Amino acid sequence: MIEVLTNPDKFFEERLKREENLKTPAFIVLLSGMTSGAIAFLSSLMTVGILGGTLPPEAQGFISVMLVGSAVGALVFAFIIWLVVAAILFGISALFNGEGSFKRTLEFVGYGYIPLVIGGIISAALTYHFFSTVELPTVTSPEEVADAIAALMASPMMQLSSVIGMLFLLWAANLWVFGLKHARKLSIRDALITVAIPVAVYVLYSVWKLATLSSTL
Amino acid sequence: MLAAGGVLGNSGSCNSNGLGKSFGCSVFNNSCSVFNNSSNISTWRRTFAMLSFLLLVVVAWGMTGCAHAEDAQKSAIMVTDYWVSPEVLMQGDIGTVTVTVKNMEMARSVYLKEVCMLSREIEVLSKPFLNVGRLGPGESITFTFTVRATCPDGIYYPKILVETEEAETVRYSIPVQVDSTPLTISVENVPEDIFVGERTEIKLAVGNPRLNAATGVRVVAESENIVPSEVFIGELPPDEAGVISFNFTPQMMGVCVLNFRLEFRNGDNSHSMVLNVPLNVAESKKGVELVLTGIEVEATGANSFKITGDINNAGLEAARSVVMRVGTAEGVEGVHPYKAYFVGLLNPDDFSSFELHVKATGSVSEVPLVIEYKDEDGNLFSKIEYVSIGQRAVPTASSEGTHALMVVVLVAVASVVAGAIAYSWKRK
Repeated sequence: MIEVLTNPDKFFEERLKREENLKTPAFIVLLSGMTSGAIAFLSSLMTVGILGGTLPPEAQGFISVMLVGSAVGALVFAFIIWLVVAAILFGISALFNGEGSFKRTLEFVGYGYIPLVIGGIISAALTYHFFSTVELPTVTSPEEVADAIAALMASPMMQLSSVIGMLFLLWAANLWVFGLKHARKLSIRDALITVAIPVAVYVLYSVWKLATLSSTL
Repeated sequence: MLAAGGVLGNSGSCNSNGLGKSFGCSVFNNSCSVFNNSSNISTWRRTFAMLSFLLLVVVAWGMTGCAHAEDAQKSAIMVTDYWVSPEVLMQGDIGTVTVTVKNMEMARSVYLKEVCMLSREIEVLSKPFLNVGRLGPGESITFTFTVRATCPDGIYYPKILVETEEAETVRYSIPVQVDSTPLTISVENVPEDIFVGERTEIKLAVGNPRLNAATGVRVVAESENIVPSEVFIGELPPDEAGVISFNFTPQMMGVCVLNFRLEFRNGDNSHSMVLNVPLNVAESKKGVELVLTGIEVEATGANSFKITGDINNAGLEAARSVVMRVGTAEGVEGVHPYKAYFVGLLNPDDFSSFELHVKATGSVSEVPLVIEYKDEDGNLFSKIEYVSIGQRAVPTASSEGTHALMVVVLVAVASVVAGAIAYSWKRK
């Protein structure tokens, strides 16, 4: 399994000889989803902490539901994103006359989630460290909640977490290049372009968002 | 205004006539006395010698008197009156000298060729009156000359020259006095103890040591917190004084200097002088003393805070219309619903709670709270108390150590990712 990180070209070349199997990729995506769920749980915990005692008593019982719901939602969202990313890459590779099934593409994209699991763990650790040390403000209106969360997200620790997430996304994209090369029988150039388009869009959007947050502080 | 009536155009002849009449009566009386004591020969001789001497004197006087009488007959023009305004000039003042010229002839008119004023010391601003015209028998005419007192204090005698058609020239000297002694302003009465927020009456005395009256006298208060802002006295006769009073309500402790400007007019000339009154303002012993206690700062948002506490009146007088509000400072802004908090009447030893909402942006660590109140006279007072909002709830900047650690983590992760990507392409 470690070979997917050290020599992805050879790894996917050998995987192509085997039957399409989504169990391992799904497990990897599950791990990635769990890290996302942990971060979502911490973020929800932060929101509840900001709202403080302003919530009505009848809403207090829903706090735990909201916390678990956000974690599970993030987990499910990871699988949805897996499908969406695979579909986008499958679609773009079709422009380069790519061959191969969507299932194979989905499988190889799933293997590419391994760096995202590592990045997710680091981001979750940083988020936990940040939320455990920061003194959360309390607000009284929804507008102030948005301002408070925006201010928290603009903190250097959270920005570092986002940057690290982007670095591991680039690593994952690198794996997707070799995965698509074999799954869709593309040249390395076409595979690189196929992956670079959506990843570049996402990275640019993330950088713009970080810059916007920094400027609002 | 000075006036002189019945002055002859030739003052010399006037004085001579007066003296002559006086001497004449004296001689006649002495002669009568001599004739009543003629029984003694020696006495008669002495009397004769004295009489001879006096006869010579009378003859000499008669000759002189005839000469003067002839001059008086020639002087048909006379300066019969004059005015100087203002009566006494101050150095630099501009004034006027008005003279009345009268034709003393009863049947003959006189043509006035030129009327002018001459002076070495006083600057005459008016030009000579040329070809004035014919002055009828017994008629008079006035001429006004503008002068400026450019000379030091003293009495000066500018000359009026009236020249007629017959080349007769009448000269007359008019005394013009220059005295720069100004009006005086001094403190009549000031209380020994002056306290913050308490009204203090300050009495000032304005005196006129000049020889003439000053007009338009007023005193203007140039400092703040003084009512009225000015007091009008009007005309102040010479050697008289007026007492005026101002009410001063100090707002700050320490030494403060009150400036009063005395303004007056000498004729049309404005003059002013300033009186500085230094006062030592002490803290009131029985006034209002507002103290904030139990201050609590609660973060209500990323940049929003709620400041609550009690405001106490530890003084001995009631504070009225007490209002608290968030002061003006960079990055500090009061927000609704409690941008300001109305406390109202706060009696001595009483207290009231308050609540203020403030939005603090940037690196603001203190919020100014302005406390405004009025005393029983309606005077508005204000004081500022600073409330610390402590460390901001959202850490916008980490410590240097944390920053360094973050950089290390970032570099390490970036190196690992870059190395992994490079290694994968190398093994391709």
